[in-house]
Amino acid sequence: MDPTKTDLNSVGGSIAMALQAETHASAEIRVARGSFLDAVASRSPAAVHPARRFPLRLAFAGTLVVAGGLGVFIWMKAPISFEVGVARTKGRLGDVVEPQGADPEPLHFSEGSKIQVAPHGRLRVLAASSKGARVLVERGDVDVDIAHADKRTKRWNFEAGPFEVRVTGTRFHLFFEPQSQSLHLAMREGQVVVTAPCLEVPRVLSAGGRLDLSCQPAEPINSAMMETAVEARRTESIGLPGPAKARWKDFLGMGRMAEALRAADQAGLEGVCQVATAKELLQLGDAARLGHRGIKAAMILRILRQRFPRSDEAATAAFALGRIAFEDRRSYGEAAGYFSTYLLEEPQGPLMGDALGRLMESRQKAGDFPAARAEAEKYARRFPTGPYADLARVILSR
Amino acid sequence: MVTPLTFVGDEKALMQALAAGHPGAAAVFYDSHASHVQRTLRSVLGPDEDIPDMLQEVFIRALDRITELREVERVRAWLTSIAIFVARAHIRQRTRRRWLWQFSPERISPKMIDQPATEVRQALREVYALLDEMPVNERMAFVSRFIEGMTLLDGAVACSTSLATFKRRLSRSEKRFLSGAAKRPSLAHWLEDGTRWTQQKQI
Repeated sequence: MDPTKTDLNSVGGSIAMALQAETHASAEIRVARGSFLDAVASRSPAAVHPARRFPLRLAFAGTLVVAGGLGVFIWMKAPISFEVGVARTKGRLGDVVEPQGADPEPLHFSEGSKIQVAPHGRLRVLAASSKGARVLVERGDVDVDIAHADKRTKRWNFEAGPFEVRVTGTRFHLFFEPQSQSLHLAMREGQVVVTAPCLEVPRVLSAGGRLDLSCQPAEPINSAMMETAVEARRTESIGLPGPAKARWKDFLGMGRMAEALRAADQAGLEGVCQVATAKELLQLGDAARLGHRGIKAAMILRILRQRFPRSDEAATAAFALGRIAFEDRRSYGEAAGYFSTYLLEEPQGPLMGDALGRLMESRQKAGDFPAARAEAEKYARRFPTGPYADLARVILSR
Repeated sequence: MVTPLTFVGDEKALMQALAAGHPGAAAVFYDSHASHVQRTLRSVLGPDEDIPDMLQEVFIRALDRITELREVERVRAWLTSIAIFVARAHIRQRTRRRWLWQFSPERISPKMIDQPATEVRQALREVYALLDEMPVNERMAFVSRFIEGMTLLDGAVACSTSLATFKRRLSRSEKRFLSGAAKRPSLAHWLEDGTRWTQQKQI
């Protein structure tokens, strides 16, 4: 190899190390995260690339004249969009839609279909294509009016608990009750096909037909209800007020992590940690970690590992504990221990590459150079172009 | 009332959720890869106060093009190429401004984050001042290969060019870097004393 190139590699490694030693990384990432998520939340071409609006428009105007026909074709192939409420605000996939008050909440789809969610009902539009949409009815009454079109070109699916209702062009009323897992369907026009794991064969329902189904087992109390009852008893025994308990869970469900953590704090965090599921604990731990409350995050994650040993979440908690030890406390030996634990528990896990890289870096920063070298060899062999590959090369070059 | 949904799932499901416009997935995607993208931008630009803006830009572009990602396991390489594209546009914009605002030099110098000058920081400034003098494509080749430590092939992919062109750019950038570094004593002092390279410079 050309010795000049070797030396330039070494120079590049030194530059990379010097850049890494700079302390702004987490601040930059945090600042950009907020702006990025805001841009995603208010996603529109103008919001995303404001500076390019004018030149893009000019270029587009010229192209439009020539490509009108093509545009219509693309429009026909584009996924249908929808608007929510009387004010017809732009709907987004995955968002929860539920009426506030006594009036139903309407959804208007771009190809003419309409859905109306009755008070106390709740649904999400999970996916949309040019042919239809996939809608999850979480609970309550829903009136559906799917615009008529060629059956071959329509694909609308409604999911409600274990049930799936496949639709072409039709109007129907659907009611789903999650506790009893029961579905009620009343057809007005057209035809639907209902499937569910508890149905031996799909059920076809035509105009004027009604259907009442339940997938609930015959036992008086099923496992989910038992779990709820056990949880309720535990909640009661630790003195958690009901509404507070519901609030942190609700916030978690809505993805409002900081508020979930605050509500959990108000309800008594230690008590919450005793009733929360592994997934909820992981979410609360992440909320605390991202909110720079490292001590609280570590407490939550340790409880997760105690309560749910050998679970995927416990392994992920070990990784998160490693990050806290590394980033917040600069306790590199402890961080290395946690990253090793993750690799031991999830040798093929999704964070394996990151864990190996971070383990190598922790060993190096802890001054354990023989161990850092051993990890660097592993990393360079498995991820020769990975994000920690340059660090591995620097360690190996010493 | 409309409230966002939280995303939970593996990498493949994450990509599908992003393609479907799942709002909760964007946060998970960002958290998984932001440090890698930030590192790439820093390698290309050095310490620069516009990095948060570019970091955001990279992820927005990635979301816009998520359906073009064919191999989920190549997501980081794919993000690297977007980051390099965004950084290149930033450097070109800066160069244009420099030309337009040549009578106000304080307004056009790269917005390096001002910190107390240590020897290492001073050397970093020198390195990036030297890289600023290079044609942008050569700079990209140099950074990809020597600072990011990519293979020639990965570097070519990241810079969206052919292997032969990448090699040509790399070769030119090496010469420029060596010749420029030879004129900057502070670099010679900092960068790997005693290596063949520094010896070569001293000749």
